[in-house]
Amino acid sequence: MKLVIIDYGSGNLKSVENAFQNSVKDNNLNFNIEVTSELKTIINSDLIILPGVGAFPDCKEGLKKNQGLTEMLIDQVIVKYKPFLGICVGMQLMAEYSLEKSNTRGFGWFKGSIEKINNVGKDYLGRNYKIPHMGWNNLEISEKKHPILKNITEKEQFYFVHSYYLNTKEKSEVYASTNYSHKIPAVIAKDNYVGVQFHPEKSSYSGQKIISNWLNWKM
Amino acid sequence: MLSTRVIACLDVHNGRTVKGINFVNLQDAGDPAEQARIYSKVGADEICFLDITATNEKRRAMFDVISKTAELCFVPLTVGGGVKNVSDFRDLLNCGADKVSINSSAVYNPQLIKQTSDKFGNQCVVLAVDAIDNINMVSGYEVTTHGGRNKTDIDVIDWVKKGVKNGAGEILLTSMSADGTKKGYNLNLTKLVSENVSVPVIASGGAGHPQDMVDVVLKAGASAVLAASIFHFGIYSISSVKKEMANNGIHIRDCE
Repeated sequence: MKLVIIDYGSGNLKSVENAFQNSVKDNNLNFNIEVTSELKTIINSDLIILPGVGAFPDCKEGLKKNQGLTEMLIDQVIVKYKPFLGICVGMQLMAEYSLEKSNTRGFGWFKGSIEKINNVGKDYLGRNYKIPHMGWNNLEISEKKHPILKNITEKEQFYFVHSYYLNTKEKSEVYASTNYSHKIPAVIAKDNYVGVQFHPEKSSYSGQKIISNWLNWKM
Repeated sequence: MLSTRVIACLDVHNGRTVKGINFVNLQDAGDPAEQARIYSKVGADEICFLDITATNEKRRAMFDVISKTAELCFVPLTVGGGVKNVSDFRDLLNCGADKVSINSSAVYNPQLIKQTSDKFGNQCVVLAVDAIDNINMVSGYEVTTHGGRNKTDIDVIDWVKKGVKNGAGEILLTSMSADGTKKGYNLNLTKLVSENVSVPVIASGGAGHPQDMVDVVLKAGASAVLAASIFHFGIYSISSVKKEMANNGIHIRDCE
């Protein structure tokens, strides 16, 4: 199986690649992983990962710079139905629009908008809620369990680093959420596409489980 | 609920881990990549490499250390030391660092914070501040550079506020007077900085006992605690620190 990690100038993709390589090796899976910006390679792939760090409009701009990439992604994911995983801003890009810096349109695959975390009040120790939401947090998993959450417990923690979150309009698409000042969607999914707000590639053993669950997911 | 992070810091010199008392009399404590792997296995929430002599010396050896670490270690990795410009910053990210800390060069080139956060996002820009006590400063603390050797006449509070405004996503705050003493973090300094910035503050310098970690979180509001020597030489383990924190009502990530 050919797995591509899309390189569109959004930060370092080495850790995403390393973590997926490690999962493939540990689980004896047959995947060929490539980090690429070439449309041809993406078209010939079986699974697609869209990472993303930094600001939404910058990521959107990065996608736009590679002419035809956005249109091709829509075709590959929505029409060709390929398994797709968006990580962090890669997840947020699937929303209708983002209010980060300016009003920027996303793919619109998930109903809702990307908005600033509403960090009012104090945490359980009386500390202010700092932005970004940075560090390890646990998940509240929905009753309807998504295959990528197989064997994941609510005690496990994942590494988050973000200042904006998906204000969803379709709660049934949220398979797990986390809590930081308020509820924040952490895993969203619909059909063949999944988005995670945290960084599975930086989430130690629990992240490795999410990665292998996604690789093993038979739609 | 967000866990309070415990960060293991590895001071690196010529590709080897060291940690000295007040930055002199360096002692060798091993291979950084191997140590990082062990730390992440026993529950370190993040790994931090500080190339302590990098401002003055070449630091190419660091790139191999980072690449090797990033292949084995699936927790966030912060690297700092001697980062002078956007291209140094990019090189470290490309080797596999998730965040880069900027210290001395931010003082000489305040635009660097803005340039790097605009380019790579504020989540990966860590402003490292080495503070010394100075009663002539409004806050009582002065920013130093080059591992505490040079004074700047800049007030710590003005400096961190400016850094955050320019896009720093986190503050790594070291009290140079507490560093290496094992007598506890500087609670007053940490509290002051934490109350004055909107981003997470990592307390650093002075940890000698798990209770010091508890104190800096409960009394000074630190978002994360960083330590080097007490982990290195096996005085206390990461799990014993986390256990003490948990016993005091601080939410932590369980060590596997």
